[in-house]
Amino acid sequence: MFNETLKQKHMKPYLIGLFLLLSTASWAQNTEGVITYERKTYWTKLITRLTYLSQEQKDRAAQTWKNDDESKEKMTLTFTENESLYTYAGQGETEDGRYSWRNSELVLYRNFAKDQKIDLIEMLGKTYIVEDSLRTPTWKIGNQIKDIAGYVCMKAETEDPIKKQKITAWFAQDIPVSAGPERYNGLPGAILELSLNDDVVIEATKVTLKKVTPEELKLPKMKGKKINDAAYDTLIKQHIAESMTAHRNPYWALRY
Amino acid sequence: MKNLFLLTLLCLLSTSLYAQNPGSPTRFTLQGRAVDTSAAPLPSSTVMLLSPKDSSMVNFTRATDKGAFTFKNLRPGTYLLKISFVGYIPFNQMVKTESNSVIDLGDLKMKPITKELFEVVVKTARAPLTIKGDTIEYNAASFKVPPGSTVEDLLRKLPGVQVDQDGNIRAQGQEVKKVTVDGKSFFGNDPKLATKNLQADAITKVQVYNDKTEQAKLTGVEDGKKEKTVNLELKEEFKKGGFGKITAGVGPASNDIAPRAEIKGNYNKFNSKQQFSLVGLGNNTNQQGISWNDYQDFRGSNSFNWNDNADFGFSSGNRFISFGDDEETLGIPVNGGSGRGFSNNAAGGANYNYDTKKTKLSTSYYYNQTRLELNSLRNRKNFLESGSFRTEENSNQINFNGNHRVSIRFEKQLDSLNTLVFLNNSRLGSGNSNVGTRQDLLRIASLTETLSTRNTTNNLSNTNQFGSANSLIYRLKFKKKGRSFAASATYQINTNDGDLALRARNEFFQATNINDQLRIIRQDQNTNSLRNEYRASLLYIEPFAKKFFWESFYNFSLRYDEVDRNVLNVGEVGGGTRNDSLSRYYKNNYTFNRLGSSIRYSYKGLNLSAGAAGQQFTLDGQYASDQTSRTFNTINRTFTTLIPNVSLNYDMKNNRYLYGGYDVNVRIPSSRDIQPIINNTNPLFINEGNPTLLPQLGHNMNAGFSYFNPASFTNLFVNLYGTYYVNQIVYSQSVDPQTLITTTRPENLQGGKNLGSYMSFGFPLKKTKATLNLNTQLNFGNNPTNINGIRNETNNENYTLGARLELTPTDWLTFYGNASIGRTNTRYSINSGQNQSIVNNTYNGDLTLKLPGGIYANTTMNYRVYQNDRFGFDQRIPIWNASVYRIVGKAKKAEIRLSGVDMLNRNLNVSQYAGQNYVQEERIQTLARYFMLSFTYNMRGVQAKMRRDGGY
Repeated sequence: MFNETLKQKHMKPYLIGLFLLLSTASWAQNTEGVITYERKTYWTKLITRLTYLSQEQKDRAAQTWKNDDESKEKMTLTFTENESLYTYAGQGETEDGRYSWRNSELVLYRNFAKDQKIDLIEMLGKTYIVEDSLRTPTWKIGNQIKDIAGYVCMKAETEDPIKKQKITAWFAQDIPVSAGPERYNGLPGAILELSLNDDVVIEATKVTLKKVTPEELKLPKMKGKKINDAAYDTLIKQHIAESMTAHRNPYWALRY
Repeated sequence: MKNLFLLTLLCLLSTSLYAQNPGSPTRFTLQGRAVDTSAAPLPSSTVMLLSPKDSSMVNFTRATDKGAFTFKNLRPGTYLLKISFVGYIPFNQMVKTESNSVIDLGDLKMKPITKELFEVVVKTARAPLTIKGDTIEYNAASFKVPPGSTVEDLLRKLPGVQVDQDGNIRAQGQEVKKVTVDGKSFFGNDPKLATKNLQADAITKVQVYNDKTEQAKLTGVEDGKKEKTVNLELKEEFKKGGFGKITAGVGPASNDIAPRAEIKGNYNKFNSKQQFSLVGLGNNTNQQGISWNDYQDFRGSNSFNWNDNADFGFSSGNRFISFGDDEETLGIPVNGGSGRGFSNNAAGGANYNYDTKKTKLSTSYYYNQTRLELNSLRNRKNFLESGSFRTEENSNQINFNGNHRVSIRFEKQLDSLNTLVFLNNSRLGSGNSNVGTRQDLLRIASLTETLSTRNTTNNLSNTNQFGSANSLIYRLKFKKKGRSFAASATYQINTNDGDLALRARNEFFQATNINDQLRIIRQDQNTNSLRNEYRASLLYIEPFAKKFFWESFYNFSLRYDEVDRNVLNVGEVGGGTRNDSLSRYYKNNYTFNRLGSSIRYSYKGLNLSAGAAGQQFTLDGQYASDQTSRTFNTINRTFTTLIPNVSLNYDMKNNRYLYGGYDVNVRIPSSRDIQPIINNTNPLFINEGNPTLLPQLGHNMNAGFSYFNPASFTNLFVNLYGTYYVNQIVYSQSVDPQTLITTTRPENLQGGKNLGSYMSFGFPLKKTKATLNLNTQLNFGNNPTNINGIRNETNNENYTLGARLELTPTDWLTFYGNASIGRTNTRYSINSGQNQSIVNNTYNGDLTLKLPGGIYANTTMNYRVYQNDRFGFDQRIPIWNASVYRIVGKAKKAEIRLSGVDMLNRNLNVSQYAGQNYVQEERIQTLARYFMLSFTYNMRGVQAKMRRDGGY
C-alpha cells in the first residue's frame, strides 16, 4: 500500500518536493519486506558456453529454439536490515500450472550482522549445507540508471571466477539493505536485477515493503552434507571440468 | 536504527579491508554534505567510494538526515567519490589524499534530473534507459514502431523528445542541431536527413547529449547552454548471419557397379526475426533423405512444433484416433530409405521463417525423388493345419517416386489471451513402377518338395497422389490461472489415381483338368479414390481446489471415401471387356464422436490424472460393381465403447522419476482394409478388403523408473509395457488346396497380446574415460490368425542382451563398442512341428584416431549373425567402413576425406522373420564396396568430433 503511494509520487515530478520531505520518514521502513523475482534462463545462450560444442551446433540450436528459448521460475527474497532469505516462490510448474515438477532444494540465508551465511543447496544429485562467513565480491559501480519495479537502480558489476560468469547487478538506492538474489549481496541497496552472463536474468517483478516476522526468515529443517565455501567451490569446479570433458551440460545438475 | 545498521555494515567492511593491510600507518577521514542546487540537504543519499582505476567499490555509507557523510580510517590514495540520490544526476568527484588527516569537501551540489528526464526514468518502466553524466541513452528496442518506420517515427515515441510536422526535433525542450550516426555526421549538418531516411529497425540505441560536454561524461553536468545532439547507434552485425556447407564426393567404378557420386549442401541466412534457408542433395549412394541436423538447419524455428495437435484429448495420451496406415507422410522425409538395393536420389527445398513474439510465419517447399532398383530373392515357408508349402520368389523391380511438398504455419497472438494457429501441409506425388516376378510354389510332403505352381508376372503401374491437411487452432486463456479453452477445425483431402497393367502367367502343375493348368491374366486396372475428412475438437480446462484441474474435450470427425475401380480384361491385340467381379464402386461415410473428461492432480512433481471417454464410430457405406448399378449393397455399423485413461508422473528427490499409465488406443481400419476390393496384383497372393471391419482397440499399460546421478554419471532405466487387443485387425488366410493361391482378408480377432520390458544400467568404469552400459530387453507376444478357418496362435518369445562400452582415454583416441545378442523362439499352435528358434546377434565397433599433421582416421565394423537351425540358415555379414580425413585451410573451414564403404564387399541385405504362420528369409542385392573422395566446405568451420556429445 505504502509502495503504491510512493510510486504515484514518482509519476508526478512536480511532487518531487513533497516526496523529498516524505523520503526521510519513508526510508526507515524501506529496510524490511519481500521481493518477488522472475528468473529467466535463456537456454540457447547458455549452451554457447559449452566448450565442446561446435559453432555449427550452437547456431543450429539458436535457430531451432528461437521461439522456445526461455524458461521462467519465480523466486522470493525476504529481507530485514540484518537478515535475508532467498528461495522459490511456490512450486515448479508450467505457466498454466497444469504440470508441476519437483524443485531442487534451495534456501539461501544471510545474516549481515553476524557475518554469516547458511545455504541449503541440492546439486549434483545430493543435498549440501554450505556454512561460512559472508563473502562480498568486488563490485564495480557504473553510472547507468534503470527503473525496475518502480525503483531507480544503479548498476554494479563483478565476476564469478569459477563459473566464468560476468555478473551485472542493479541495486535500488531506496532499499538500503545489502541483500540480493542467488548468492549475491553486499551493495548499498537491495539488488533488484541480476544478470549472470545474460544467460540467466533474475528480475524483480514486485517489491512489497512490510514488517517481516522472524518466522518468515526461519530456515527449514535441513538434512545434508555440511561443507564450507571452499569445498563448495572445489565441488562445482570439478563437476564443470568433468562434464565438459565428458561432453555433457554441467548445468543440468547445477544451478547456473 | 538504520544508522546502527549502516555502522555495523561499515565496520564489517572496513575491518575486512583493513585486516589485510595492517602495516599502513596513516589514515584519514573524508567528510562532506550532499545538497541540491539550492543548498537544501539530500538526506540518506547513497555515498560510495570507488577505486578510480576500475570503479570497484571500496566502501559505502548513507548520508544523515542533514545530508552529511563521513568515511573514517581511509588508507591514503586516490578515490572516486560517488553520490546518488533518486531524482538527481549521480555526482562524481575525485578525492586525493593530502597532508591533512581530515578532508572536508563541504557542500557537494547535485543537479536534479529535469522533469522530462525524470518522467522518462519512471514512465518507461522496464525500458532500459541509462544516464551517463548528461547523456541519456534510449534502447530503441523498447519503443515499438511499426515495421518500415523511419528513425523520425522512433524519435516521436521517445519520452522527452518532440518532433514537429516539419521534422524538427526538440529534446528536453531544446532544439536538436546535430544528428550523428555511430558518432559520425550523416550527410552534412541537416539533422532531418538522417532521421527521415534511416530505417528505425537498423537502430539499437538513441543517445541525446550536449555536444560540448561529451568528453566530461564522468564528472557531471556543466552549466551554460549547449548544443543538443542526437547520436544513432546502428545495430550490431552479430544479429545477422549466414552459414552454409557443401559436401561433394566421387568414387570410381568397381566391383561391376557404376561410379558413385554424391553432393549435398545447405545455406542459411538469418537475422533476429527472419530465416531463409536452402537445402539440396543428389547421390547414387542410397542416401534418400536429409539428415536430422540438416533438417533442423533447414526448418529452423519450425523444426518441431509440439503444440500443433488439433485433435485434443487426454493430456497424457497420444492422438485420439489413428487411421491405420492411410496417413500420408505430408512432412519432409528425414533420413529415410532402408538402404536396400540401388537408388539414385535427388532432393531440394527452400524455407522461410518469420518470428516475432506475436506473429510467427513459416513456409517451406521441398521436392524429392528416388529411383530404386531392387532385386530380391525371397524364400518363405507357410504352415497349414496339415503340411506346409514353400515359396521361392525372385523379383526385379524399378520404382520411381517424386513428391512436391508445401507447408505453411502461421501463428498470431491476437492479444495476451488469444492465439490463433493455421497449419497447412500438402503433398503432390507421382510414381511408377515396373515389377517382374517369378514365383515357384513347392508343396512339402514328408521331406520331398514337389513343384505345384509357377507364376511369372510383369506389372507396370502409375500413380498420382495429392494430399493436404489444413488446421485452424484457436486457444483462449483466461485471467484465472489454468483455465483455458481451445477449439480446432481440420480439413483433410487425399486423392489417389492409379493405373496398373497386370500381365501374369500362372501354371498349375497339379491340376487334374487341362483347363485349369494354365491361367493367363491380362488386365488393365484403374482405381480413382477420394477421401475427404472434416474434424473439429473442443477443449476446456477448469482449475479447482488449487491442485486440481478438470479437463474435458469433444472430438468430431466425418470421413467420406469414394472409390471408383474399373478392371478391364484385355486381349492379346487390345480391346477389352469389363471384369465385373473385380470392378467396384463404393461410397462410405465414417462418423466419429468422442466426449471425454478427466481430473488431473499436480503438486510439486506428482502429476496424476484419471478419466474416461465415450466414443461412437458409425460406418455408413454402399457399394456395387459399377457407379450406374441399380442395386447397391449397404453397410451400416455402429460401434460404441468407453475408454478409460490413467497416467502418473512422479518427480522424486535426487533425479529419480517414476511414471506409468493406462490408455486405450483406437485404430480405425485403413481404407485398403475396409474397401470391398480384390487386389490381385500378385495373382498367387490375393488381398481382399472387409467392409464389416470394426476398429481395433489396444489396451496399453506402461510403467517405468529412471535414475540419474549427475556427479558419478551413473544411470538406471527400467520400463515395462504391455498391450491387450480387442477386435485386433488380423489378416486371415485361406490357401486353396489345389492351386496354393493364398487369399488374405482382414478380420477382427480376440486374444492378441504383447508384453515387454527394457532395462538399462550405465556407469563409469573410470570417470570421463570409460563407461559401460548393460541392457536387456524381453518381449512376449501371442498373436492369433485364422488359417483356412482354423485359429492359429503364434507365440513369440524374444530375449535380447546388450552391452555398450565407451572408451575415451585420451584426446587422440576414442572407441565405442556395442554388442547385442538376441534369440527368438516361435511356436505355432496348428503345427508344432514347425516351432523354431532364430538367433540375431549384432556387434559394432567405432574407433577414431587423431593422427599427427591434423589427420583423423575413423573405422567402423558392423558384424551381424543370423541363424535358424530349422532352415540350416547361418549368415554372417561383416561390414567394414573406414575413412581418413584432414581439416584444411587456416580458417579450418574445409575438409578432405577418403572413405571406403563395405571394404570387405559383403553387403547383402538379409532379413529373416517369423510371422503368424510363416517364416521368411529375404536377400536383396545392395550397394556394396565403393570408395569415395569427398570435399566439404563449411562456412562455420569444420570441427573433428572425437567424442560423442552427451547432450546439451
